[in-house]
Amino acid sequence: MVEIEEIEKLEFKWGSKKGVGGKNKDIRFYESFTFDGLEYALYDDVYLYTDAENLPHIGKLIQIWEAPDKSKKVKVLWYFQAFEISRYLVVELTQPNEIFLACGKGPGLANINPLEVIAGKCNVVCISKDSRNPQPSDEELQMADYVFYRTFDVEQCIILDKIDDQIAEIDAKFIFNRVRSLEPNSGHTPGVDNKHASENAKETTERMTLRTSSYENRHPEDYKQEEVADGVAEKLAADDRQDNATFNKTASSLKVEEKSDLKVPSVNPVVSPREKPVSGGGTESGQPTKTDDRQGNTSCENIGLSHNIIDEKMDRVGNSFVSQVQVEEKLKFTEVLGESNERPRKKAKVDSSVNVSDDKNKIHVLKPNHDSDANTSKPIVPNFTASEDKSRHAIDPLGTAKESSKKLKVDDNVAKPTGGKSQKKPPVWNPNDGIKTSNKMIEVTRRPNSDKSNWFTELPWEETMREAYECGRLVLFQNLDPAYTSEDVESIVWSAFREICTAKMLHQTAYSSPHSGQAFAIFRTSEMAERVVRELDEKCLLLSNQRPLVARMPTVCFPKKQATFPGHLALDKLKSQREMKEAVSTSHASQPNTLQYEMAFEWRLLVKRSDLVWRQLYRCIFDISRTKRKLFCEASYQFGFLSRPSAYERWWKPDSTVFSQMLFLTKVRLCYLLNWIEYGKIKA
Amino acid sequence: MESAEADEYAAFVKKMRRTVYLDNLSPHVTEPVVRTALDQYGTVKSVQFIPNYFEPNNLPRCALVEMEKEKQAEVVVSTLSHYPFMMSGMPRPVRARAAEAEMFSDRPRKPNRRNILFRWVPPTDPDFEVANKLKRLAKRHADETAVMLKHQMDKERELAKQQSETLKANYKKYEGIDSVMADGTARRLARYYGMRVSDDGGPSTFH
Repeated sequence: MVEIEEIEKLEFKWGSKKGVGGKNKDIRFYESFTFDGLEYALYDDVYLYTDAENLPHIGKLIQIWEAPDKSKKVKVLWYFQAFEISRYLVVELTQPNEIFLACGKGPGLANINPLEVIAGKCNVVCISKDSRNPQPSDEELQMADYVFYRTFDVEQCIILDKIDDQIAEIDAKFIFNRVRSLEPNSGHTPGVDNKHASENAKETTERMTLRTSSYENRHPEDYKQEEVADGVAEKLAADDRQDNATFNKTASSLKVEEKSDLKVPSVNPVVSPREKPVSGGGTESGQPTKTDDRQGNTSCENIGLSHNIIDEKMDRVGNSFVSQVQVEEKLKFTEVLGESNERPRKKAKVDSSVNVSDDKNKIHVLKPNHDSDANTSKPIVPNFTASEDKSRHAIDPLGTAKESSKKLKVDDNVAKPTGGKSQKKPPVWNPNDGIKTSNKMIEVTRRPNSDKSNWFTELPWEETMREAYECGRLVLFQNLDPAYTSEDVESIVWSAFREICTAKMLHQTAYSSPHSGQAFAIFRTSEMAERVVRELDEKCLLLSNQRPLVARMPTVCFPKKQATFPGHLALDKLKSQREMKEAVSTSHASQPNTLQYEMAFEWRLLVKRSDLVWRQLYRCIFDISRTKRKLFCEASYQFGFLSRPSAYERWWKPDSTVFSQMLFLTKVRLCYLLNWIEYGKIKA
Repeated sequence: MESAEADEYAAFVKKMRRTVYLDNLSPHVTEPVVRTALDQYGTVKSVQFIPNYFEPNNLPRCALVEMEKEKQAEVVVSTLSHYPFMMSGMPRPVRARAAEAEMFSDRPRKPNRRNILFRWVPPTDPDFEVANKLKRLAKRHADETAVMLKHQMDKERELAKQQSETLKANYKKYEGIDSVMADGTARRLARYYGMRVSDDGGPSTFH
């Protein structure tokens, strides 16, 4: 346990209350809180610090409270990692990142810790085939930091396959994956969920839901959240106290209460028949995490999200009137978006464009049609497929839903770029529209071949490149899709700048990122080159898949003759003798009875390790950038953190240095590595 | 047009399957070296080194070697992963992998690929902010990889140093033993103590 004094002052804020308890009713239980920029909710899986050298522990928050002396505590149900129970691990790990939930009774099951030891969120997916467990999708599995389906009984020290009804007095449903709508049991979720089968949605399922719910926290209509919450909390308390098992009940009663009490902002174009089921669902048991129902209901994503933004604004402006305004604007916005095309798309300079380049990326790049200046943050892409599903909270804004109730079928739009449903004005493809500076996506036309000389062969490339580099005509493009070819790059440049260039994609090596490619481009004059770089810098050129093209004048060093190569050793004495004899062309496979064999294996190990690290690094990078790209049209930077709140993101702040990130990255990677090694050992 | 592309691509894929990606090569390794080295596994059709235009300059070289048949390429890859293969120096083994499409810089377009779309985002557009952030993100990632690369180079150097020290120490030991055997001291001592000396020679080391 880390001393509280040692930790630096990290931002903290309580979320929704759950009840009070303790002897004198002076202990407050909570269902969520914000800590150091991340939202946590009850039953979240988190990383916890041990000390600087050891890897963090993984646990599930099963109770959160504030003691009368103002100290914040959490009760954590532990997960065991492979290396922690290696002694008892007589069975194989089915996956390298498998962990085990603690169960049984006794020491090692759960502990009470100060809240400050929480290091970050952890994405643990339950892959148990139990019927009570919502099965995770492939995407979720990929995104998961860890998976588990077995438990480790701390009393008997054995691994169990079956998950009991209750572990540490927590209902099994909180152990299993939370259902998309954040209702662990919700059967109706799929129904509510319908629109999107988009995978994306599933990916950030839990995360998003939690996120949005926590955002809602800060939102409620009337700004006096505390009081309302208190009021409700009291009622809750009255109902039932620190009884874990009845979380559901409390949550649901909370919901019911709030629904009736609070007025929800009117913006709810999303309100549609869907509401019914959702409302119904609302009263259902447990969304223990849904705590935030201050406002009573998280709505379907868009609304949820729009609330978020509005929440944010609320916090800043603190003016419910403003929220009304926002709400209206949002409404306008949704109207615009809605099928009803009431407002001509072109209206504001802000058009929306549907961007569906990928199945994965079903994000609409929608923009609100508002002109207000006060609106610094823009409403979130309603299509935040991710969150949508999640917050299937019976959103029902008590009827104030407006006319434009077309349930903002954003999702539909997303799902079908060219589908009939979507009546989005801007077509996805505008074949050969020429260069328009509108916000529609333009297709890249192939560069005219007339100029292309056919007598450029491979070899001369280097020479031309060298020349070009010296004249300043060489530009390096980064962040390209690795599937592009050199011709693609040339076409892109042609379409975007109307300039001709010769481009060459760089080879990918073992160390280069598999997710983004680079290319050199040679222009005819250095002015062209500079112009291209400048324009790409000032404005943004977005390619398919929401990747902005990055360009710069590279510093190129041409391969020179190197004398030394780490790893090739020679004995000095022998070296001089044999230099003549030992023609550099000898090569052989070494036999196991030689020293070099052993040494070679040391090198192998190093190479393998670094491979793993690279892979993880790129995976992280890929994840971060992919999720960031999804959040297109996010106004507030915080939203950048919305999805994929894994541990390393905690450090990913704009001002932290690369090194600290790397350090943390490597540390977390070490976690993986250790697990992988265990896995390897057991396999072997 | 379509089919021509498809054909081209198919041909490329075949070529790719026949190609081996070699890594961890010393900069002294030249084409004939690679050729002769891999000749034992089959006919080498072409050897192409992948130039490294950026720092750090000391990165181990890599090459794409095209063999005649796919089978041969597979054999190369599997042998090299089972036995450490040394080229032009020891003890750092050469790593071989099956080649991937992106390793070739002159690959043809994949047919049936969706067209690339793009759009300009003007500064007034609310998306601009995000796009900018993404750009910065991309740059940051590039930096991170550079740092990672540096770390790796450092680790390699460390390992190399460590190994060279162990090697020297071992060599000294062997030298010592050798000299003792050579000038008969060992035998005399053995006779003195009544022990037998066998004449194994020990494992061969760096010769």
